[in-house]
Amino acid sequence: MSPEAQIRSTKPEAMSNLYTIILAVAFGAVLATAAFVAVKCYFDYNTLFTIP
Amino acid sequence: MSNLTKILIVLLTVSAIFLCGIVVTYIANANNYKEKYTKLSSDRAALEQEKESLNNQLKEKIQQKDDLEKSLSSQVASLKTKEDDLQTKITGIEREKAELLERVNSWASITKDFQATTDKQTQLLSTAQEDVKQLKADQIKLSKELEQTSAAVVEKNALIDAAEAEKRRLIEEKADLQNRLDKIVQTGGNVPAAGAPVTQEKGKAMPSQPANETINLKAQISEVDAKNSLATISIGSADGVKEGMKFHVTRSDEFICDVLIVNVDTEKAVGVLELVQQPPKVGDNASTNL
Repeated sequence: MSPEAQIRSTKPEAMSNLYTIILAVAFGAVLATAAFVAVKCYFDYNTLFTIP
Repeated sequence: MSNLTKILIVLLTVSAIFLCGIVVTYIANANNYKEKYTKLSSDRAALEQEKESLNNQLKEKIQQKDDLEKSLSSQVASLKTKEDDLQTKITGIEREKAELLERVNSWASITKDFQATTDKQTQLLSTAQEDVKQLKADQIKLSKELEQTSAAVVEKNALIDAAEAEKRRLIEEKADLQNRLDKIVQTGGNVPAAGAPVTQEKGKAMPSQPANETINLKAQISEVDAKNSLATISIGSADGVKEGMKFHVTRSDEFICDVLIVNVDTEKAVGVLELVQQPPKVGDNASTNL
């Protein structure tokens, strides 16, 4: 790719897709954990944030 | 992208995954406190209810206990009254018992003396019975001897009568001969006819033999009629039994009675019991000679 073309495109582009995937996996793990905790709280206590 | 950023990304990812795993494990194994609370609440309510019912039962039992205590108290009072009455009666009965025991002791000594006297009397009675038996046996023996002697006397009397008749005949014959001799002397040799003596010559009396001693019949008692004093013996006219015979009944060496035969059949004979010492039994020996 020529330097002119790099200057012309304004959309940021990841430096490496590998690390993006790693970050996505970490985000997904955190999200899945949050969902599991929420489901567990809801089924056990019928609420998510209040203390019964 | 710098290397530091890459390292941070990797570390962030690893630590996020690790922490998420820890959280998931903890949440998965966490206790369900709401469920436990609900369960404990229901248990507590049940226990409260049970406590209430037990309290009610306890009150009822206490009430029943009070009622029972009252009734038992009244019963105890009445029983104490009865006990006092019974104690009084027992005292009286014990006094009577002591008096009765004294009487029993005195009666026991009297009974003991009476028993000793009875034993002595029994001994004397048995001795007297033995003497009576001996005397009866002697009497029977003497009666038999008397009968034999009487028979001998009768025979001797008969002999004496016969001898006296012979003597009278001889005297008459002598007187007749004397008369004839006197007439011969007076007439000078003419012989007068001989006169017959008034007393006729009889046959010479001979002692009779006892009939039973020669016969010696032996039999057994086959029937006894104690009511009519009759007994049946096991032999009859076929064996030579005749009316008027006398059988002596014995048991081993003991004399029982005599049987005077009054009716004779072919195979049996019936007689009257005489000189009964003991009641005869079927099977006793009967014989004409002792």
